[in-house]
Amino acid sequence: MARIDALAKLTGRAVYAADVDLPGLCHAAVARSPFPHARVVAVDPGPAREVPGVIGVFTAADLSPGRYGRRVRDIPLLAGPEARFAGERVVAVVAESRIVAERAAARVRIEYEELPAALGAEEALAPTAPAVHEAAWSYPGAVVTPDDPPNLQSRVLHGSPEDAERALAGSAHVVDRTYRLAAGHQGYLEPQACAARVDPDGRVHVWMANKSPYRLRHQLAECLELDPELIEIHPVTIGGDFGGKGSPMDAPLCVELARRTGRPVMLVERYHEDLTSANPRHSGRVRVRVGCDGEGRLTGFHVDALFDGGAYAGFKPLPTVTLHGLEEVGSSYRVPAAAVEVRICYTHTVPRGHMRSPGAPEAVFAFESALDELAHEAGLDPVEIRRRNLLADGEPNPWGTTWVEARGRATLEAALDAYRPLAVPPGWRHGRGIAVYDRPTRPGRASLRLVPDGDRLIVETGLPEQGGGAHTVLRQGLARALGMEPDRIEVRQVSTAGLPPDDGVGGSRVTATLSVAVARAAEALRAEGGPVTVTLDPATVPPVTSYCVQVAQVAVDPGSGQVRVLELLTAVDVAEVVNRDAHRLQIEGGAVMGYGLACLEDLLLEDGRVWAANLGEFRIPSPVDVPGLRTVLVPGGRGIGVLGVKAVGELANVPTAAAIANAVADAVGVRVRDLPITAERVHRGLAGGEGEVGEEEAQGGER
Amino acid sequence: MRLRFQLNGEPVEAEVPGDALLLDLVRGRGLTGTKEGCGVGVCGACTLLLDDRPVSSCILPAGCVQGREVWTVEGVARRHPEIVDAFLRHEGLQCGACTPGQVVMAAALKLRGGEPDEAAVREHLAGNLCRCTGYRAIVESVRAALGS
Repeated sequence: MARIDALAKLTGRAVYAADVDLPGLCHAAVARSPFPHARVVAVDPGPAREVPGVIGVFTAADLSPGRYGRRVRDIPLLAGPEARFAGERVVAVVAESRIVAERAAARVRIEYEELPAALGAEEALAPTAPAVHEAAWSYPGAVVTPDDPPNLQSRVLHGSPEDAERALAGSAHVVDRTYRLAAGHQGYLEPQACAARVDPDGRVHVWMANKSPYRLRHQLAECLELDPELIEIHPVTIGGDFGGKGSPMDAPLCVELARRTGRPVMLVERYHEDLTSANPRHSGRVRVRVGCDGEGRLTGFHVDALFDGGAYAGFKPLPTVTLHGLEEVGSSYRVPAAAVEVRICYTHTVPRGHMRSPGAPEAVFAFESALDELAHEAGLDPVEIRRRNLLADGEPNPWGTTWVEARGRATLEAALDAYRPLAVPPGWRHGRGIAVYDRPTRPGRASLRLVPDGDRLIVETGLPEQGGGAHTVLRQGLARALGMEPDRIEVRQVSTAGLPPDDGVGGSRVTATLSVAVARAAEALRAEGGPVTVTLDPATVPPVTSYCVQVAQVAVDPGSGQVRVLELLTAVDVAEVVNRDAHRLQIEGGAVMGYGLACLEDLLLEDGRVWAANLGEFRIPSPVDVPGLRTVLVPGGRGIGVLGVKAVGELANVPTAAAIANAVADAVGVRVRDLPITAERVHRGLAGGEGEVGEEEAQGGER
Repeated sequence: MRLRFQLNGEPVEAEVPGDALLLDLVRGRGLTGTKEGCGVGVCGACTLLLDDRPVSSCILPAGCVQGREVWTVEGVARRHPEIVDAFLRHEGLQCGACTPGQVVMAAALKLRGGEPDEAAVREHLAGNLCRCTGYRAIVESVRAALGS
């Protein structure tokens, strides 16, 4: 079934935010702070104003003092008087063209006084560390108090540390290991982009690469103290998201610039700006202590995660201001006593945001690596320790949730059945590694409007298309619910003025949400005729969980430490699959993203600055890098809604790093505990005998 | 600087600053199918055909098109409907940001001739990054477009 959006994208007709053309459109560029922490002493806009084509030059003092955020509202439109990371917006220039705006921005004279900076998570929590914010607890949405360490963004504690300690003390085997993850970037190919227009009557219009338009409207209204009804977010195609396109980013600034200049204003980031100053992935470390009894049954674990949130907390949407994947560590197993503490702190580095299943690749890399290390201690096969501990139906996970079904074991066996060892080059060693992940599927809030049009049907949605195939799935799902041919249904994304609020894209929830919403809409249409509008309340739908088991095969050169990932075999626990092609792409694209995290991606954050500041330095997988991909679906699960579906978007990218690290350990006995797994790190392990790679990098900075 | 060149099969004239980029030249004419990705010539989103060879328009001065022939994704899609059709059938896209570059690269390979195997197709696409698909479907689409 072809995608609805495919033809427009293949012929160059799809309109993305940077393609929007508005009468009188002008362009903004920003001058950014070069220092991790500095006071803006003086700004001389004179040289910029003299550039022909410049319309205006603006500092923080010229614009709304409001701050924005997805939860914590701590992000200013422009920095001033303090700049809190290298790359922060300090001065904005509006001009007739983008290139003129950029040249003028480079000519603004900004005098800075460099200040002491807190550059790493451990360092930032020391009592003597420079405070990133004077009173972080005072921001709306903050979850910290004046009694907390000044650089804390959030602290979450689950389970019972006392029970976990007792269980570990009584265990036959215990490992205590710390794993580290470099900062990364979502790597969407369309950089952050938005355009704004303010009508003379005060109505605000925004076109933006943003996956949750109704939330954007709310966030803009809060920041700029506007009535949300006066703000309209218009639909555009989104050029990739992976968690990074859910914030207001440059939109509040664009709206203010449009208001002050009386012209529509567009701001499209250059890719180096996106890498150094948008909302990349958190870096951090996860310490895992996990034990088992003499038969390899898990007795307890205690996980302590400390992550660097950068200069602002406002790119995290959860009410707890944490990363949900970290909180849910160990969720696939039966563990009698568990505790997890997650701390995220402010530092004078680029603010961090969400990336595809936030916190989960990090938690799973640590936990699934530790599980292999524990199996090694206990003299057990890595497969066996998982077989003995994966949840069975009816058993609660360590955090007290009992799912309607737990198909981890079946998914593991399906992966092992499909596994076939591949040949390695002469002299290289073969290794196999396994890792497991499960994540819940929970529908979100969604609204649909059905408008019959002769023998055709128009369906209006507020859901953007960010690449996952939401609009195609909507058409297929509705066709099934109504017993219509899909080609008689036209999907239209409407602006935020058109429908009641919709949660937008995220949390692997779109297909599940639509699965419930299309049934309600079809029911309403049959009962009332058209046009009908339905809104789904997600609280009424019980969630399910889905498992993903990945088996990585690697070849390692024992001389150089070079690692070649030969194959990623991904087994996924599914119910019904609405669109086989789109479903497969989510799995394959996920596995390749997991491979990037495992082996390539590192923003090289040093001295508070991103050094991998272009896509040549920050390497994401290319067509010639990627391993062989095999996918095994494990059908028969119980899904959600009339289509009977389970989440897939944020599964296959999660276990990959652990599977590859486990495979490398299997191949050459070197345990790499720092990502990415580079030849240098493996080589260091090989040179040092039985590998202990990672600990020597524990001190100082980000890496 | 005054430029005369062929754009998607039509003769055109354009007046551009001497330091304008080819990417801005075509986008400025409303051909926004060509995308700016990395801006430094490594991701392939801005790929165009210049005299039937693929180039990164984000790092090429506009002046280099003088008297030459440029094809953007809009023109390539009209000239090679079989490529569009192959990508549709093999679902070789998701978000679409890299897609214009992939379509143009498929045309470049077709124009070069020969019967590339899978490895050669991958090698040909090595400079066209995609963050969504994992590439298998793109490689299949390009191979189908070539009839291989």
